[in-house]
Amino acid sequence: MLQCKDVIEETSNYIDGDLPFFKRVGLFLHVAICRCCRNYIDQIRQTIHTLAVTKPTELDDTDKQALAQKLHKACEKKNAGNH
Amino acid sequence: MINKFFKSKRDDEAALIQNLIDGDPVAFEHAVAEYHNLMLSVARAIVGSSVADEVVQEAWLSAIKALPKFEGRSSLKTWLVQIVSNGAKSRVRRENRYTSLDVGWEAIPADKFDHTGHRIDNVSAWEHATPEALLANEQLQTVIEQAFQALPAMQRAAMTMIDMEGFKIEEVCNILDVSSSNARVLLHRARVAVHQSIEQYQDN
Repeated sequence: MLQCKDVIEETSNYIDGDLPFFKRVGLFLHVAICRCCRNYIDQIRQTIHTLAVTKPTELDDTDKQALAQKLHKACEKKNAGNH
Repeated sequence: MINKFFKSKRDDEAALIQNLIDGDPVAFEHAVAEYHNLMLSVARAIVGSSVADEVVQEAWLSAIKALPKFEGRSSLKTWLVQIVSNGAKSRVRRENRYTSLDVGWEAIPADKFDHTGHRIDNVSAWEHATPEALLANEQLQTVIEQAFQALPAMQRAAMTMIDMEGFKIEEVCNILDVSSSNARVLLHRARVAVHQSIEQYQDN
């Protein structure tokens, strides 16, 4: 029988459908009787859904306008070289 | 409906590629705004922050040069990520860098379990049950953003690609050069860390 500790370790694999059959059954049985783990798995699911919507980003101080201009110039130079 | 969505995304992408090849300045702004952060995330995971910017700039220049040969076998996003990944990996080989999976990882505190491995704290359902309700809370969005930015670069990259950009685990293994079990560990650790920050916020 799996313990809560094991469930925490395997939560992502369970949610992503990557658990081998017997482990999946073991986790399912544990969750059937353990409200804490049921809530924990739901919370991780909600975390994943929230991340997909909020899409937090890398800290990034790139001057994107300048980078776009640099790439544009490089492209123009290449196109001029082809003609 | 879904097919229509993907078809329109494909059409948009084809138009963007053509505009880039034609040298439309707006297309460059759009491409940089759309993909630069993801490329930076991948580069930081592989080479570290200090040279990641340089690696991404080189990757952009290589991509623009190679764009007319882009065959569309993958999405533009995947192709750009592959280019930055290859550039970063060759930089790692040159400089003999090594990134550890365990940087910054903290396990769930042992005092949350009894001697048989069962939880002794009570995990109750979250008050704000839907992502929409979570999102309505600006303070919580900041908490999530900060928790994400505090993750080690490898975890951030795995989470960005899988949970936000829809990459498959096999693609991430290839991009970050990690085994499938390591990619799963990175993803799980990242999710647990962000979850903990939301949980702490809910508790307060």
